[in-house]
Amino acid sequence: MNSTGVRTLPALLFHSPSPNTQHSIRKTLALPKLSPPNLPQLNHKPLLFLSLESSKIVRARGFGIRCSSGDDASEGGSKWARWLPKGVVAERVLRLISGATSSPIGQYVSSPTTFLHSVDPRIKLVWLLALVVLPARSHIVMRFGLVIYLALLSIWVLPKQLWMDQLGRVGLLSGVLFVMLGLGSDSAPSLVQLRTPPPAMINLPSLPSSFSGYSYLVMKLGPLQLTRKGLSVASTSACLTFTIFQSASLCLATTTPEKLASALRWFMLPLTAVGVPVAEIILTLLLSLRFINLVFDEVRNAALGIVARRINWQQLTIMETFDIFVTYVRRIFKNIFSHAEQISQAMIVRGFRGDSRNHKIYFLSDSSLGMPDIIASLCLVGLIGAAVLSEVILSGAIRILSCELIRGLGFIEEDCYPAFSPLQDDGAGRKRIIT
Amino acid sequence: MSIAAVTLPSICSQIFNCAFPVRATVSTGVTNTSNLAIEGRNLSYAITAKNGKLVPILNDCSLCIPSGQLWMLLGPNGCGKSTLLKILAGLLNPTHGAVYVKRPRSFVFQNPDHQVVMPTVEADVAFGLGKFNLTHNEVKSRVTKALHAVGMSDYLQRPVQTLSGGQKQRVAIAGALAESCKVLLLDELTTFLDESDQIGVIKAVKNSLSGSEEVTALWVTHRLEELEYADGAVYMENGNVVMHGTPSSIMGFLKERISSYTNRINP
Repeated sequence: MNSTGVRTLPALLFHSPSPNTQHSIRKTLALPKLSPPNLPQLNHKPLLFLSLESSKIVRARGFGIRCSSGDDASEGGSKWARWLPKGVVAERVLRLISGATSSPIGQYVSSPTTFLHSVDPRIKLVWLLALVVLPARSHIVMRFGLVIYLALLSIWVLPKQLWMDQLGRVGLLSGVLFVMLGLGSDSAPSLVQLRTPPPAMINLPSLPSSFSGYSYLVMKLGPLQLTRKGLSVASTSACLTFTIFQSASLCLATTTPEKLASALRWFMLPLTAVGVPVAEIILTLLLSLRFINLVFDEVRNAALGIVARRINWQQLTIMETFDIFVTYVRRIFKNIFSHAEQISQAMIVRGFRGDSRNHKIYFLSDSSLGMPDIIASLCLVGLIGAAVLSEVILSGAIRILSCELIRGLGFIEEDCYPAFSPLQDDGAGRKRIIT
Repeated sequence: MSIAAVTLPSICSQIFNCAFPVRATVSTGVTNTSNLAIEGRNLSYAITAKNGKLVPILNDCSLCIPSGQLWMLLGPNGCGKSTLLKILAGLLNPTHGAVYVKRPRSFVFQNPDHQVVMPTVEADVAFGLGKFNLTHNEVKSRVTKALHAVGMSDYLQRPVQTLSGGQKQRVAIAGALAESCKVLLLDELTTFLDESDQIGVIKAVKNSLSGSEEVTALWVTHRLEELEYADGAVYMENGNVVMHGTPSSIMGFLKERISSYTNRINP
């Protein structure tokens, strides 16, 4: 060990295969050591920090640091060396992966036990379905109402750190979607809409502003404009994204995977009559839920292994960096397959013989319906009812009002009274009632 | 040769000259050497290398473990401890020899992530019971008892990935205990654990053994300090069973070897 706190292994000499280079390349191999801060700084910069294992990789894969002899060649080398990738991105990516959590997908939070924890998982699944369908089919007021309701529920049910993290991410995603779709979906209308001269030029009275304050254009931001159509598309997409992600997170945070699997099995049981292997599907689902964390663990640990080698990325060429990434991916797959093999052995030892029908999966949670389930069911019925009513009342009222207004002017939209009013094209692309 | 589940009564007294402690399990209190939970005779195991040559892993290993005791299988890395344990568990077939292990038996892997297959604690402990036709209450009772034995009663619904290595290891042991097995084959359970978890896991196994005289455990380890919890030990080297006896005799043997090695390198 030298005074710098780096245990240096005997240097390996790599003889250059090129006949032009007369000298051999020296690689300093060093085992990284966590040195205390009071130790002196490194006087020299090792070319490449590699552990014993990575030195094997070096020999097996044959990558090394390029060098050339002679002044001309070194000048040329310095020219093209400037264009080499510095490897900082690769290092950052690996550091990011190595610092990630092994449970990125919604995780069950066992405490504090809340109202939602005691709701039957079957009712939660129906709620999930409703929260996926309703934002797509209900009025805009209802959509935003659902978003607010879910956000408040998350704040109430989840611990502060968790809901802040979840709502922050989902809110950001939905917000970006809302802005992009709202301003982008209807912002280039001039190319696709009819170009009619102003009413004054064709001796027609100007269209009066709507009595109810109706305006197709909601907001204008320079070349961008938020129209009713844009608002509708943006609100639907953003609300749908929010409700899907947040309701799923909420469900996973308050329900164990076994309870969800048991609820799913309950819904799928009738399908056994038509030959669907329900038991196998449920066992596969449970194993997958367990395996997901192992996979993320492997991905993280393999990245951590590479980061811990303190590879000097800046001296690697793009192909060498790529090579390390290929080795990384290979290692992940190898470890995952090894895990799978061990788990299958463990399952055999524990009595599983490959037939899911003969190996019962016990769901130990009680599935009796209680007061929370009744309340949750009633709320669900109320929500669906409210969504239907909002669609009928709010949308219907607005449509009738606008149609009446337009009809009063002698114009009619095609979708207002298509069955009753004989229409005639007025030559300007609009329909006029035949009177 | 396939695993021969043959009864080899009192074979150990015939094949071994060494005396090992056997706790009386009969009402008369007379030492009963035929009350063996694990018995292996002349076990050999070899694998075929890529060049077609046979590589021996185990050579003529014989051992016998009495019922109701915790025995340790010691030896340096690569000496064949885990392979011998896998043969006893029925995961590998010996190329030669005979083996008898009481049923039901359970095997707990070195890495708990390989053993725990379900996402939450209670579901994993109940997984091994799937092969039995038990009522819901019986399953619940077994799971509760097994988790209580390993001190994990408060972790019923905890996701497995949130547990520490020692806690996962205890869940794995609870899974084996819930099956009411008579033989526990434990493969280096304390490898990844710190000292407190290590002691916790050993005590959990001891507790489960003290609860029933029928339960026997064979614990593979290379930590000598764990010997103090054992009723007996087997020492292996280079695929051979070198010694078979009480923990104190094994400890004495190892100390003697260490001192002779020290004297050799520092004359």
